[in-house]
This record gives sequence, structure tokens and C-alpha cells, in this order.
Amino acid sequence: MSSAVQHTHASVDRPGRKTRSRRDYAVALPVWAAPAIAALTLLFAVPLAHNAWQSLTKEEATADAFFYYRKIISDPYYRGVLFETLSVSFIVTVLCLLLSYPVAYYLARHARRSRSAILFLLVAPLLTSVIMRTLGIRLILAKQGLLNALLDTVSLGPIPPSLLNGPFSVYVGIIHVLIPFMVLSITPVIQRIEPAIEESAVILGAGALRTFWHVTLPLSREGIYTGCILVFMMSNGSFITQLMLGAGKVVTMPVLIFQQFNVTQDTAFAGAMGNMLLIMTIVCLAIQSLLISRSRRPQ
Amino acid sequence: MSSPIASPRASNLRTGRASRMLEVYVWVFLFLIALPILLVSVISFSPTPFLSFPMQDFSLRWYGRVFEYEPFLQSLWTSVELATASTLVASIVAVPCALALARSQAGAAEWVTVFLLSPISIPGIVLGFALLYYLSNLSVGPGFLALFLAHTVIAIPYISRTVLSVYRTVPRSIEESAVILGASRTETIFLITLPQIRYAIYSGTLFAFLISLDNLPISFFFSTAQTNVLPVVMMSYLQNQYDPSIAAIATIQMLFAVIALVLGEKLLGIGALKSI
Repeated sequence: MSSAVQHTHASVDRPGRKTRSRRDYAVALPVWAAPAIAALTLLFAVPLAHNAWQSLTKEEATADAFFYYRKIISDPYYRGVLFETLSVSFIVTVLCLLLSYPVAYYLARHARRSRSAILFLLVAPLLTSVIMRTLGIRLILAKQGLLNALLDTVSLGPIPPSLLNGPFSVYVGIIHVLIPFMVLSITPVIQRIEPAIEESAVILGAGALRTFWHVTLPLSREGIYTGCILVFMMSNGSFITQLMLGAGKVVTMPVLIFQQFNVTQDTAFAGAMGNMLLIMTIVCLAIQSLLISRSRRPQ
Repeated sequence: MSSPIASPRASNLRTGRASRMLEVYVWVFLFLIALPILLVSVISFSPTPFLSFPMQDFSLRWYGRVFEYEPFLQSLWTSVELATASTLVASIVAVPCALALARSQAGAAEWVTVFLLSPISIPGIVLGFALLYYLSNLSVGPGFLALFLAHTVIAIPYISRTVLSVYRTVPRSIEESAVILGASRTETIFLITLPQIRYAIYSGTLFAFLISLDNLPISFFFSTAQTNVLPVVMMSYLQNQYDPSIAAIATIQMLFAVIALVLGEKLLGIGALKSI
């Protein structure tokens, strides 16, 4: 929309001189991008490439370039870790989506005066440290935590620690950290849907559910894609929650990298796993741009 | 949704009840999001070393412990220095880059933008690990310099992202008018461009500052006994001991962030929260 406006603007003002005049008036020179690009090339792209190269050439990989990658895929333990990483992220993403869609909908459509308060409550946790939030989850779900204390006052037995300390706490912890990102990704997209479209569906006889399912939900898919992939990627990379709440029962790839680095010092293998995570991230980003360019194409 | 056009009374009632249920859900949701954080702040005032509910009394004992325990204060100071230095350098690099990219009509600009923002998406532990071995090959071992370089890399995309998105909405015609009226490039930038994007710079740098203050996955690779940052110290403290002083330091850290945010909002006006 803005580019169309600029285009007509340019052709009305200065027909025939568009490109040159644009360059003349651009305040920032293209060269100004150079320092940032150089910094990121030297301190971001090259180190990652260096790491990938090391994982293909160092130690056991000197003879067999894909030694470590084959190990991750073929060894049942490491394959399990890879699967665990993906399944934790998948479950977290689905739960985040289901739990946050109503909030995003409310924020976009119903909240008026409460809007900034809701936004503040969503963004405020992002200002606190991950450690603080995990500690808070621990205070609620620990054996003598808030949840069991509350259950005790209504004379319900405590929840067995085996249930609390482990996967359940990890899921709660990761969802708590990531769910604001899902809400913040979906809200603006719902806001852009013209309410008149939903109203037309209702006038034409669709019930509230049918309107939601056939009109609102499909129109908000761009936000859903963005939010889901963001949450999936961030969950793939998270490990502090697993370390602090998982009691060693949830081992995902970043946790394993952390352990390899700290305990076994098998750096080439840790590098290969890091590179796997990196590839997974790039695949996610590619899927995201594909989905978004597809959903933007007129049908 | 609840349109006045087609509203038999029954369906109106139903949507009314549904929207009230939605409202209740939203506030329960927000309460649960806030609960762990509130709980940690409350526990930091607990008089007992173990955590118990309900709390009987109120004490500042654990805040005293924070000030007695050297590593907490030292690492908090290191973290603040590190966040300040990396955010400052990153903004000097990132703002001009975002300005150039936002107005660039070169086909490559889009790809450069993707590259510029990509450190946000890469898992911190992967970058930290890769950077550790790369830098030590260049004989930059763990320590403040390595921490500073790593944090600058992370700060650049956060700052350029907010500046890019805001600067794209600023009409070119404003700067063009200044140039037509005879302003030099420097005058245009300092009198026209930068004032237009000052909220973006503020919220981008604030966000980068807070990200740096809280960064654990990267910092933990570069911390040494001499140069340690707060999140790493907090995590190792939590692994060995378990008393409310960790809640106290976490609350102090949160207050830092809230004060920075509120000060910024007061000094610069509302809008920073929205562009995060």
C-alpha cells in the first residue's frame, strides 16, 4: 500500500526522473550499511560457518566427514534427543496457539480501555529474567509449592512430585516464557481483518462458530504461521527451563550441547549438534517465508 | 461480531455471555502469566530460608544477603557495563544501516535485511558455542572483550529491526522538503530524520539493553571467574544453594528494567512498548 502511494507520488511529481531524484534525496548512503554488515559477517556468519566446517573435518570426522551427523541420526539415544526436541517444540507450539488465540482475539476486537493494561501485562514478563520466571514456576509446582498448598487447604492430596518435577514443569515453563510472543504475533493480524467481513457472514446466516471457523480463522492464518514458527524456533533453542525444571528428564539438543560442553568436552560433536539446530532454524525460516508469501498471494 | 444489524434477542444474549466468558478467560490467562513473577517478588521478602506458604512475616534479610554476597553485586555491575557498552556500539552501527536499508531500492537490500535480522532467530547456545571457538582461534579468550563482541552481535538486529520498521513509515517527502529548502545532509539527519525515529531508537536500544542484561545462553560461554555476568552467577547460585536471596536479586533486576521503561516512557512519551 505505501509503495503504491510512493509510486504515484513519484510519477506525478517528477515523471521521467524517478530513479535519479530518489537517489539524490536519500538521506542515508548505501555505504552506511557497511559497518553493520561487516560486523555481522565477521562475528556471526563466519563463526557459524567455521563451526559447521569443524564438525565436518575435526577429530573423528577427519576420515568420515559426516561421522557426527550419522551418529546423531543412527544412535538411538541421540535420535531420541532429536525427536524429543522436535516433539517438545511441537507440543509447546500447539498449546501456545490454542491458549493464546482467544487472548489475541479479545485484544484485537473487544479490549478498549483495558488494551494498554493487557499489552503491559503481556510485555512485562519479557522484562524479567528467565531465571526469575523459572524460579516462579518452581515455587508454584514444587512439592511444597503454592499449588500443593492450595490443594491442601481444600483437603485434596498433594500431586505426586514425579508428575510435577519433570516434563510437566518444563512444558509449563517454556509455555510461560513463549506465549506472549504468540499473542503479539496474532493480534495485529486479527486487527487488520475488516469486521464487516465477519458481519456479512453473520448476516448471510452463519452462526458465530461457523463465522469464526470459515472467516476469522482463515483470515488470521498469517499471524498464526508467524507465531507458531517463532514459538517453535525459540522452543528448539531453549534449555534453561529444561535444566532448571526438568530434573534431568527432558533432554533436548541444546541441553545436550550444554552437557557436552560442560562435562564431556566433545566439542566437535557439540558443534555438529549446534549445526543441526542451526539447519532446523533455517528450515523453519524458509517455511515461514514460503507460507507467508503464499497466504499473501491473491486467490 | 455482535452486530446490531442481524440480532435476534437469543443470539445477542449468547454472544453477550460468550464475550463475558472470553473476558474472564483473558484475565485468568494474564493472572497466570503474572503469577510466577509476583510470587518471586513476594518470596524475596520472606523471613525464612526455606519457602513456605502462606508467608507469616516480612523481612528484608535476603536483600541484605544480596549486598553481602560479593559475586551478585560484582556481576550486576559487569552486566550493566556490558549491556551499556554493547548497546551503545551496536546502535552506532545499526541505526545508519537501518536508515540505508529502509530507503534502498537495490534488489539486494531485502536479503541484507534478512541477514541483518537473522541473529535474533538463531539459538543463542549455537552462536555462543561457535563464537567461543572462533574467537579463541583469534586468541580472544573468554572475558569482557569476547562478551562485548557477542552481545553487540545480538544487539544489532534488535535495534535495526525497530528502526527499520518505524523509518519505513516516515514519508520520504518530509526529508525531501528539507533538502529542497536547502538543508544539508547533516542538517536533514539531525533535524529531520533522527527526531522522527527517536522512539524507535529508544525502544530498540532499551530492548537490546534488557536482552543483554538477561542473556544466559551466550554469556555463559564467555564468563570467567574474574568477569562474570549476573544471569550466569544467578544460575550457578541456584544450582548450589536455594534461598530467597536469588529472588531478591531477581526482583532488583526486574526493578532496573521497569525503571528504565518507565523513565523512558515519561521522558519520551508513550509508544516504546508498542514497537517491541
